[in-house]
Amino acid sequence: MEEEPMSVVFQVGANGVGLLDPGSETNNVEKGAKVDLPFWLAHDLYLRQATSINVPACFNQKTRKEIQADAACVDLRMRCPYFYELGCKTVPLVGDKSIGSFLLQAFSSRYKEVLSKSHSTPTTTASKFLPRLTKEETQLFEAAQSSMASFKKWRVGGSRLEKASILGKKRKTTLPIDPPSP
Amino acid sequence: MYGRRASQLLGELAAAETGQLTVYNSDTFDQVIKECNEHNVQLQSLFRKMEEQNLDIQTTRNEDYFGAVIHHLSLARNKRCLMAYMYNRAETIQSLRWKIGKKLPQEIQEKLSFSEGEYFKNHSAAIDSYMSELDLDLTVDMIPPKDPYIQIRVLDDIGEVSLGDLEISLTRHSVHFLRRTDAEQFISQGLMEEFLG
Repeated sequence: MEEEPMSVVFQVGANGVGLLDPGSETNNVEKGAKVDLPFWLAHDLYLRQATSINVPACFNQKTRKEIQADAACVDLRMRCPYFYELGCKTVPLVGDKSIGSFLLQAFSSRYKEVLSKSHSTPTTTASKFLPRLTKEETQLFEAAQSSMASFKKWRVGGSRLEKASILGKKRKTTLPIDPPSP
Repeated sequence: MYGRRASQLLGELAAAETGQLTVYNSDTFDQVIKECNEHNVQLQSLFRKMEEQNLDIQTTRNEDYFGAVIHHLSLARNKRCLMAYMYNRAETIQSLRWKIGKKLPQEIQEKLSFSEGEYFKNHSAAIDSYMSELDLDLTVDMIPPKDPYIQIRVLDDIGEVSLGDLEISLTRHSVHFLRRTDAEQFISQGLMEEFLG
């Protein structure tokens, strides 16, 4: 999540870091240059008052309208795979207080959908909507599925001793002992 | 972009399922270290430049200073990513001792770097000496047993094994009634399975 690009404006110039600004002709970044930086760098530079941060595109008005219309259908992963986490960490940096309530609204309206789908969807159709979920939502989805699976296993009862999962990936290929009869 | 390569390294770690090891990526690791060295060189040269202009590094806030800050932050970031990579692998390697025992199969051995292999051996030796001091095998009964004996089915030819006071020939597909503590290590190595007839 720390790698998410943030659009920032440099309030100061910086020498020797021309790599950051693809439009720069020298090896320096000028004052006032608009550059995309990864979140970790943008954040630390903001704390040193070297940059100001713009609100990331995934929290713009367009996305907000779409979330209001039908939250469950919006492809949030395409916008930002760490939508909620980035949102939480952005709020103190950009001073836009409305992001908080927007995140809450988006999450609560999508949460129900994620949870009910995790129990009802067979794995074949899950591929249709799984790519729309952010990383956080995918984790929730998998947690719901695995807890259901463990519950079922517990109810049925069965072998509790298992082969170490790290060995389970490769099966030894053994030759068939009996050739199939013609 | 600064720090991109280091995060690729971590992405690799995140893409693997938890508890699974990927091949130790020494290429990328070395590249990141090289990147760190470059940052260091740039950092030093910016500091020199400031010193030549007789500026106090502690208080000056000019363009060279912010350039140096960016290099410093990138350096710290790379370091952090490398540490995270090593730490997470070390955790998995430690857990191997509990899951599959002292001897690592070839396909896992290949995924470790040399120092990770040494780490596993030393960690394993430390656990062994602790267990022999206690006179108790801590790696068995990870799940509380209901019965001290279980039925097992042998999945692979193991051969003659002496378990406690009896010699037993474990041939493939044979079913035995063994002490659970004896069977457990074979099950976790994938040589037996619990037989629920």
